[in-house]
Amino acid sequence: MARDVTLASASHAEWIKFRSVRSTVLGFVVTALLTLGISALITSVIRGHWTTMDPLSRLTFDPVSTSLGGTLFAQFAVGVIGALFITSEYSSGSIRTTLAAVPQRLRVVAAKALVLSVSMLIVAEVLSFVTFLMGQAIFSGVVPTASLATGAVLRSVILAGVYLTLLALLGFALGLILRQSAACITVFTSLLLVVPIIVFLLPQSWQDAFSKYEPSALGRAMMSTTPPAQMFGAGTATVILVIYVAVAATVGSIAFLRRDA
Amino acid sequence: MLKIEHLTKRYGDVVAVDDLDFEVTPGVVTGFLGPNGSGKSTTMRVILGLDRPTKGRATIDGRVYGELRHPLREVGALLEAKAVHPGRSARNHLLAMAASNNIAPSRVDEVLEFTGIASVATKRVGTYSLGMNQRLGIAAALLGDPQILLFDEPVNGLDPEGIKWIRDFFRTLAKEGRTVFVSSHLMSEMALSADQIIVIGRGRFIAQGSVDELTADVAGTVLVRSSDQARLAEIMRSRHATVHDRDDRALSVGGLTSDEVGEAAFAAGITLYELTPQRASLEEVFMGLTADAVQYASASTEVPRGA
Repeated sequence: MARDVTLASASHAEWIKFRSVRSTVLGFVVTALLTLGISALITSVIRGHWTTMDPLSRLTFDPVSTSLGGTLFAQFAVGVIGALFITSEYSSGSIRTTLAAVPQRLRVVAAKALVLSVSMLIVAEVLSFVTFLMGQAIFSGVVPTASLATGAVLRSVILAGVYLTLLALLGFALGLILRQSAACITVFTSLLLVVPIIVFLLPQSWQDAFSKYEPSALGRAMMSTTPPAQMFGAGTATVILVIYVAVAATVGSIAFLRRDA
Repeated sequence: MLKIEHLTKRYGDVVAVDDLDFEVTPGVVTGFLGPNGSGKSTTMRVILGLDRPTKGRATIDGRVYGELRHPLREVGALLEAKAVHPGRSARNHLLAMAASNNIAPSRVDEVLEFTGIASVATKRVGTYSLGMNQRLGIAAALLGDPQILLFDEPVNGLDPEGIKWIRDFFRTLAKEGRTVFVSSHLMSEMALSADQIIVIGRGRFIAQGSVDELTADVAGTVLVRSSDQARLAEIMRSRHATVHDRDDRALSVGGLTSDEVGEAAFAAGITLYELTPQRASLEEVFMGLTADAVQYASASTEVPRGA
């Protein structure tokens, strides 16, 4: 007798669905182009201007977070990948097929989250390491470089991949709540771009208190070897971002459980 | 055995399904007939656990859909609205469904072959015609070789050949002892393809029976032509029959059997030229039964779902 509909079979189904649409492949290609391309651009520009940069900038220069700079652009692409994984099911009506096959809705959410986070983590980690090594290669000879042999450096590179994975999950959780691709992408980009602008308009003391909680600020903290001014340490930043994702995913799951498909 | 037990479904203030209660038995094709917006699709969605009933429930052999171990192996469904990602190929769509219910991938090729879309199975579903989409839906319904099959408006978009094919296909499924539950707003289609018919309107149960039973319930009329139409009409009216003059000089008599009309004419010495019992068509029965429901249909359409 065959097994029940388990998380494993549901995940297998979600994996087939995830890899069989163009938007996923395209999303990963854009993620790679942004991560590598922007990082190459940033590191090349710094190499070119290194000798004319002011001494303070050179003193506080972080070759690790700078070489991972493209990650902060790729975060939009991974958010879209995560969101579309669920919103496209609503726009196409395939959610009905999905739930008819696996009526246990939490299992559907878990299977999708599993497929998304594993595939995203693998891709994002590969990208982080390649980007880091590419950046150091571009720097070498002119700009000080960092080595993966240093614990803090290795941690920063790994957390860059974790950051992208968490943002993909955040996009997915927003998708569960909002169900519409356009609404979801709007809210996601607003969180990353508009919230910092609003915070910037606040008095300085409030800025100092709030800006470190912005997702991109948490991302920068995660990718830095030493905590930048007014920011959390890498560990705390990771925990806070995980809490954001957990809260959004919980709200999304409750909505997914309660609504008619 | 598929059972709908006192099912009510409300969307806000709109009552889509109102205390529906019936059984769908295996071995026959059961038609689910009602005007558009009468609650057929809502009922189907509740059976599949997609929509949560406000009251009551739908059970499959005593269990609600969510309790089935491998739902696709017990219930197969073709839903009216498209339920496939347009960017995915038919084959991948079916492979994902198969994987979720531990169905062998070889079964995917079987159903693709059976529904005649094997040659286009690797193409993106978005490029399919309406008919090909219906065939894919049928392939998906058959994937788990289920005992209970639901088809929501299956003939939509099929060409005459496809319609003929699907009717025969329903018969075959029923002969194999399966439960075949087919919704339609076309009574002519139901008259041809269903053995049992359940009629609903405005979300309410109206009637259930075979085509013969449903048409017998509504008394037919008798068409009469005779040597003295005026006197015959008078006699009929005196016996509390309803009499209509038809354009072709024939009388349409309601409320009496042809035997009664014939004997009355004989007793009055009127020669009959024609005496024809007129059977009500299923269409007339349907119109009569759902007249109230249709009146309101434009005001309370079924809530648009999905998007």
